[in-house]
Amino acid sequence: MKMEIVCAGVGGRGVLLASTILIETAIKAGFEAMASDEYGMSQRGGSVVSLVKIGDCKSPLIGRENADILLSFEESEFYRNLAFLKRGGMAIVNTRKGFLRDGIGNLLKERNIKCHFVNADDIASRKGSMQAANMAILGYFSYFKQGPYMLGAIEETIKEKTKGKFVEKNLEIFDAGYRYGEK
Amino acid sequence: MKDVNMEVMIGNYSIARGLVEAGLELAAAYPGTPSSEIIPGIIEFNKREHGHIHAEWSTNERCALEVAFGAASIGRKAACMMKQVGLNVAFPSFLGARRKKIKGGLVIICCDDPGPQSSQTEQDTRLIATLLNIPVLDPSSAKEAGDVAYYAMEYSYEHKVPVIVRSTHRVSHARENITLYQIGTRKVALNEGIGEAGVKGSRGQGVKGKRENGGHPNHSITQSLNHSSASSYPLSAKFGIVASGMSFSIAMDVIFELNLTQRIPIYKVIKVNPVDPDIYDFVDNAGRVLVLEETDSVLEAMIHRGNKVFGRRNGYVPGAGELTYDIIRGIIEQIVEEMGMEERTFFPDYSIEEALKEIRFPPRPPRLCAGCPHRASFFAMRYASPEAIFPGDIGCYTLGISMGAVDTCIDMGGGVNLASGFYNACNQDETFTPIIASIGDSTFFHAGLEPLYDATKTGKRFILVIMDNSTTAMTGMQPTPQTGMTADGVKTHSIKIEDMVRGFGIDFLKIIDPYSIPLMVETIREAHAYLVLDNHSAHKPAVIIARRECLLSAKGKHEALLDTINIEQDCIGCKSCIKLFDCPALIFNDEKRKVTVDEGLCTRCGMCLLVCAMKRPRKGQNK
Repeated sequence: MKMEIVCAGVGGRGVLLASTILIETAIKAGFEAMASDEYGMSQRGGSVVSLVKIGDCKSPLIGRENADILLSFEESEFYRNLAFLKRGGMAIVNTRKGFLRDGIGNLLKERNIKCHFVNADDIASRKGSMQAANMAILGYFSYFKQGPYMLGAIEETIKEKTKGKFVEKNLEIFDAGYRYGEK
Repeated sequence: MKDVNMEVMIGNYSIARGLVEAGLELAAAYPGTPSSEIIPGIIEFNKREHGHIHAEWSTNERCALEVAFGAASIGRKAACMMKQVGLNVAFPSFLGARRKKIKGGLVIICCDDPGPQSSQTEQDTRLIATLLNIPVLDPSSAKEAGDVAYYAMEYSYEHKVPVIVRSTHRVSHARENITLYQIGTRKVALNEGIGEAGVKGSRGQGVKGKRENGGHPNHSITQSLNHSSASSYPLSAKFGIVASGMSFSIAMDVIFELNLTQRIPIYKVIKVNPVDPDIYDFVDNAGRVLVLEETDSVLEAMIHRGNKVFGRRNGYVPGAGELTYDIIRGIIEQIVEEMGMEERTFFPDYSIEEALKEIRFPPRPPRLCAGCPHRASFFAMRYASPEAIFPGDIGCYTLGISMGAVDTCIDMGGGVNLASGFYNACNQDETFTPIIASIGDSTFFHAGLEPLYDATKTGKRFILVIMDNSTTAMTGMQPTPQTGMTADGVKTHSIKIEDMVRGFGIDFLKIIDPYSIPLMVETIREAHAYLVLDNHSAHKPAVIIARRECLLSAKGKHEALLDTINIEQDCIGCKSCIKLFDCPALIFNDEKRKVTVDEGLCTRCGMCLLVCAMKRPRKGQNK
């Protein structure tokens, strides 16, 4: 199996934690996995992209139109990283809106890209922790059961990789993200 | 299920682990992206192993290298770490150390920044090492970086010469599942040459460090430890690739993607100096050779086979910048097509860019964090004296460039010296163009003391704002001399910036909280008035220490300064806050024609209210 995932967002909003959870989950499932992070000079508020590659590969870098999945933790970062996504790929976008402009919508249709919207900020704020929108996205992603990314497997990694006092809250938001998929 | 001896870690931790396993005894470094995580890694692994490694943050790279050299010269296994431009700071001792015999081991880890992503310039440490004939190793993955660090220490200890491990940010910050060994038991042989991958097309075996050879290299570095001899590859190869570092790993993925694994052998180089002579057989036996390396043409110059080589010199490889996946794929496709070996198979779909043209999304240039105290300082500097020259320096606060309060940036400490130069250039006729230089606290200790002393001694008149957030924020919150904290968190004595400044005889010294923007503005004006005074005591710089804790370390500790800001009601959409304050939490909403606040980023520092054209407190007090 080979799977390439681009996690894109803004500094300080948990992109790197999300990609860590993705690598660790894949490794626990017995796959090879590696990642490359790009976070530029800004500590908070800059673009952050973390590339995750699972399976047989040598470098953690992803080429244009090669990624299977694009997880956007912020809407504008979806556009900025869209060229990574291959034909037939899948995108999850954290956005308040539930639609795309015609031009982009047609492009995605033409490239056979399935794009799913989730208001992860809202899901996370309702549970009292806006900062944990990354968990809502992971939860929603797990609904699609891609490769090793099943609900239980990701939950296990969240328990291991997040700090003690946040575990419960993170799992709650993760679960809410998953249930958003079921709806 | 999880193997207890494996752990996902970044390349820098892998390097740290390799050094600790090789019996490291002393480590010294100055933080600099992409090298900063190696010292914390060493400290962590040392704790886990209950070892006795001494690890410290040095004041600058020269201190780090000399401390490590001192330890190595009397028999210890020592290492120092820095980023590529840090080696320039350490250059005098670097030049000296290479000629001296050491009794122990000395490994210099120098992390280059192709791109550059977080540096002012690119620089290839392999080139400098090769020119000076210092052994230099160039790992191609996070996993291999650990093996290479281990090997380098053993090699240095055995041969009594300093060895450089050159990493790049793509290696240092890649994350992989890495095996941990007991100290002293790692078995490393550098897996160079064309390896199995090139011959049999069996991926996944070419890069792994082989567990043989006892880990004690009794070879000269000029001998290959792993003879996957070039002659084992069909001599008829029309086209081969020589690659090192992350470029090798990307090239492997690219030829796999393009289904060319069986047709294009890749020769991998780890030891860039001295290079394994096998490489010449490989080059001679191939029809044409592409050289992929970052960032200078070091291997290309060594191979030197005229037109046979595709590289930087004939324009196939870009002359600067990172060799990304897309660039490498493009080069290989172009060459393969030109040589008539294969039709091009990847065509970028530019309809993506076309469709994106209709979308407006905010650009994200590097910016200071929302709530950063530096932002308030820069705003005050610009507000108090918009016509001033603003010499800047290296650190987070270089980002003040977007606020129009940083005009220059050369190297650490350079801003203070430039201010001196500007003073004499602009003010010899006593017209008094104001000059307001800025420097951070860590940088001030690193390289600002001598320039300030120099400026005082020679009677320069400018304002120096020392932006003291009591940490080295840009590289990950390392303690500064003032914090009185060692690298492993032990309390030691604190060295105060104000004591140093006073010690130079500077008499205009004010310490201000930059969040008090009006007071900051007033103080800058006061300093300017002091400098233009025609008295002898004003013939030296005026210093303002803008002191407020970095927001990243203050996180969660201080109370919200503001209640809800009712922008919906008050904002007139003039954008002056966005233009003048450049806070990433302020976003202009095109539909509403008003500024909105990104609640995920806003820290409620309230500084933007002081910038608001609708003026301030009234606006903030709305609930």
